[in-house]
Amino acid sequence: MPKIAAGSLEPGMKTAKPVVNTSGMVLLGENAELTPELIDRIRNMEVDGVWIQGLSKPSVPMEDALGDLDRRFRLVAGQPHMDIIRKAVRKHIEGLYE
Amino acid sequence: MNSMDVRVVREKIEHINALPTIPKVLNRLLAVIENPRVSLNEISSFISSDPALTTKVLRMVNSPVYGFPGRISSVNQAVILLGLTVVKGLLLGVSVFELMQKTMTGLWEHSIGTALFARLIALRTGHREPDEVSVDGLLHDIGKVFLVLQFPEEYQRALTQTKEDGIIIHEAEKNHFSTTHASVGSWMARKWRFPTKLIDVIEYHHKPHLTKSTPVESAIVHIADILVRARGFGFPGDDLMTPVQPEAWDLLKLTDRDILEILEEAEDSLQITEDLTL
Repeated sequence: MPKIAAGSLEPGMKTAKPVVNTSGMVLLGENAELTPELIDRIRNMEVDGVWIQGLSKPSVPMEDALGDLDRRFRLVAGQPHMDIIRKAVRKHIEGLYE
Repeated sequence: MNSMDVRVVREKIEHINALPTIPKVLNRLLAVIENPRVSLNEISSFISSDPALTTKVLRMVNSPVYGFPGRISSVNQAVILLGLTVVKGLLLGVSVFELMQKTMTGLWEHSIGTALFARLIALRTGHREPDEVSVDGLLHDIGKVFLVLQFPEEYQRALTQTKEDGIIIHEAEKNHFSTTHASVGSWMARKWRFPTKLIDVIEYHHKPHLTKSTPVESAIVHIADILVRARGFGFPGDDLMTPVQPEAWDLLKLTDRDILEILEEAEDSLQITEDLTL
């Protein structure tokens, strides 16, 4: 469940955890639906990121992300340790889509 | 293909402070940073006297890149907690932020991503100064800013070559400038009297096995750079992988489990960092 930066919040999103500012003060509870006014307030209040419900998958389709990964690694395939790195990143990316 | 004479590049750097392409605001800042005897108080006052700079510094310091999320509320506190070296680097980072965004889309994200990964790797390997290593990561590609600003057409040709020939930007730079952003960055760093270790890491982040003074820090930034590229975060000038230096990998003794955990630790922060506008 990713944390969304204040700049990327959109109306209709629902908080998955309380919204806290950088001093630890709770600004908004969990399960709150974000209105444009609330989003404005959050943006003005030094918030480090907001946990949003339901947004568990990144916007890029997994096949694209993995395709990019393989393409990126094509020229270094077989070089020392690069397969280890590629596999770890692959596993990590797959994990983001679960 | 005719490569530029490296002396042309060096010459420009020697007179870097007089270059019209370097913003005045940066010049003033550099005057403060360059002074080897500047005190924490002087730096603190310098930052505090500029509200815009204060905001940027505090935002940066409270970002995941520095690991004090939300706990630093004053410039003084930042300066005391982080120390002179880190604050100087941070000041430079926030100042070149706009320049980076103007010169190469994605370079800022790449740089801040590298800072983040560098810090995580430093923590994991027990480095005593993870925040300093984070600054090394933030500024490792500063040479690219200079090259793009000073030689935009030539650099554009280098960027095009990375796509056409499938080579990394470092190689394309060698072909076009007879030098690379690593050397250029280190010359800039030296001119601006950055801390010695930072100069060294900037110079050796692509060849960490060759430095005698910062083998660990250079290895960390080297691998952080690779992980940011692997993760596809930001844009360093090409869309490819640099092969890891085996000695650097062996020095840090990272396992595949370490890599996976570092990627997981970084993930949330990357999201936040991506939206970190100063």
